Amino acid sequence: MYVKNIRLKQYRNYSDIALQIENTVNVIVGENAQGKTNLMEAIHMLAFAKSHRTSKDKELIGWNHEFARIEASVEREQRHVDLEVILSAKGKKVKKNGIEQKKLSEYIGACNVVMFAPEDLNLVKGGPNMRRRFIDMEIGQISPVYLHDLSKYQRILKQRNQLLKGMFPVPSREQELTLEVIDEQYIEAAVKVIQRRYGFLQQLEGWASEIHTRITQGREQLELQYDPSANIHAEMEASALAEQLRAELERRRENEIRRGLSLAGPHRDEMKLLVNERDVQTYGSQGQQRTAALSLKMAEIELIRAYVGEYPILLLDDVLSELDQHRQSHLLDAIQGKVQTFVTTTSIESIKHETIERATVFTARQGQLEKQ
Amino acid sequence: MQYPTPISQLIDSFMKLPGIGPKTAGRLAFYVLDMKEDDVLEFAKALVNAKRELTYCSVCHHITDTDPCYICQDKQRDRSIVCVVQDVKDVIAMEKMREFSGLYHVLHGAISPMDGIGPEDINVPDLLTRLQDEQIQEVIIATNPTIEGEATAMYISKLLKPTGMKVTRIAHGLPIGGDLEYADEVTLSKAIEGRREL
Repeated sequence: MYVKNIRLKQYRNYSDIALQIENTVNVIVGENAQGKTNLMEAIHMLAFAKSHRTSKDKELIGWNHEFARIEASVEREQRHVDLEVILSAKGKKVKKNGIEQKKLSEYIGACNVVMFAPEDLNLVKGGPNMRRRFIDMEIGQISPVYLHDLSKYQRILKQRNQLLKGMFPVPSREQELTLEVIDEQYIEAAVKVIQRRYGFLQQLEGWASEIHTRITQGREQLELQYDPSANIHAEMEASALAEQLRAELERRRENEIRRGLSLAGPHRDEMKLLVNERDVQTYGSQGQQRTAALSLKMAEIELIRAYVGEYPILLLDDVLSELDQHRQSHLLDAIQGKVQTFVTTTSIESIKHETIERATVFTARQGQLEKQ
Repeated sequence: MQYPTPISQLIDSFMKLPGIGPKTAGRLAFYVLDMKEDDVLEFAKALVNAKRELTYCSVCHHITDTDPCYICQDKQRDRSIVCVVQDVKDVIAMEKMREFSGLYHVLHGAISPMDGIGPEDINVPDLLTRLQDEQIQEVIIATNPTIEGEATAMYISKLLKPTGMKVTRIAHGLPIGGDLEYADEVTLSKAIEGRREL
């Protein structure tokens, strides 16, 4: 799939621009603070209806304006979709083929995007919440049902925490019974999330380990593991998993009531990356961590293709300059001629690859984009 | 601009209603000035009467002007079956269907620790005492299919199961008369989960 044209109105520093875009590699060159990343963010918004940089949609609306709008038409294999995201002080509206979608889960997935930004290089060494976010966003992109299950889990979690807070120091009979009921809901929702994430990681591992071995020329073997916060086995079937989680909750009950917090569940689970059987987060070098992050992102592209039947759109935001030449060419070789890609950089000369030499180049200057 | 006191009081009163802001309140107030006096009196009386004469039924907590309510008093109805709902509006919806001839029990809410609502704050204890001394054999739990509605349903069934009472939950899934292809993925996956053998 590819973005055929896009129009930004009062979005960040763009007052009104419209672009025709080819299904190739597009390089956006410009000094800092000219709007390169803003374009990437806008394409990210089209796919996920949220920014990768901020959770405050207000920041996206141009200075002194009431609303911002992103419109684009996306060509897919057999059809095309028109997408529209409108942001205003009142909130956010998303439209698919001109029809407003009330539920975000009905909108997300209309256009698939994989983003690779410098902060993603921290995917491996950063906190567990980054890896959870990565997993949740990527599964959400291919499965609206997962998004629903996840938000259901999060709501039950809130209810449960609130109940636990009220149970200290002496719980009433009603509270104990309510906790039993909410625990059942909590376990059911948690099991769905855990199983889905586990299955996703297994599939992702298939591609990621292959890519990783190729980049390291056979020297390194990458493994992905789902590392649950409770002492459970994520590979088990639903009923056994529920049983284990129930026992784990019981064991933590007193502690949970004392702290007014749920201590075991998907909101605390982790993804572990092993290189040659060692945890790369703790023992890996900076270079190994970057290669692992790159392998994950490249695996994601393949995974989406397997699910959706088409390659997603790839956004490389200022990240190529962060990779050495060897890793650069692995990435660029892999996408050549297959994936519509947007690359931002301050200097095009810093990237030496035939893909970039043949790419369409846009120059970003003070909220304008010009094709060269 | 200052309005004369009577009209600004009227505007303020309208603004206490849900969904009515200053503009609508102003328009309604000026409309009232143009109405016939009889109509205004009737309107005022209707407001007061609704408040004064309507109470909640002491048996089922449905809204009523007689106690017990017209449903609880109706001798034609099947007294062995009780349908538990969250809201008065749910009773009205069920009654429109005209298929259910049992009794009701209105909870006036659902369990939600986030909002500080526990089972003792909705009419759950009352339901239990009611079940003890009436000839009820089945309880249908028709709370909403939300997280809070489900929690309430599970809570009630947990309390009732040991008594040997038949407890059922209304089905959810595809709407009747709708095309499968128009159902959203979540509803569809729920419908698959709740499938039954033919």
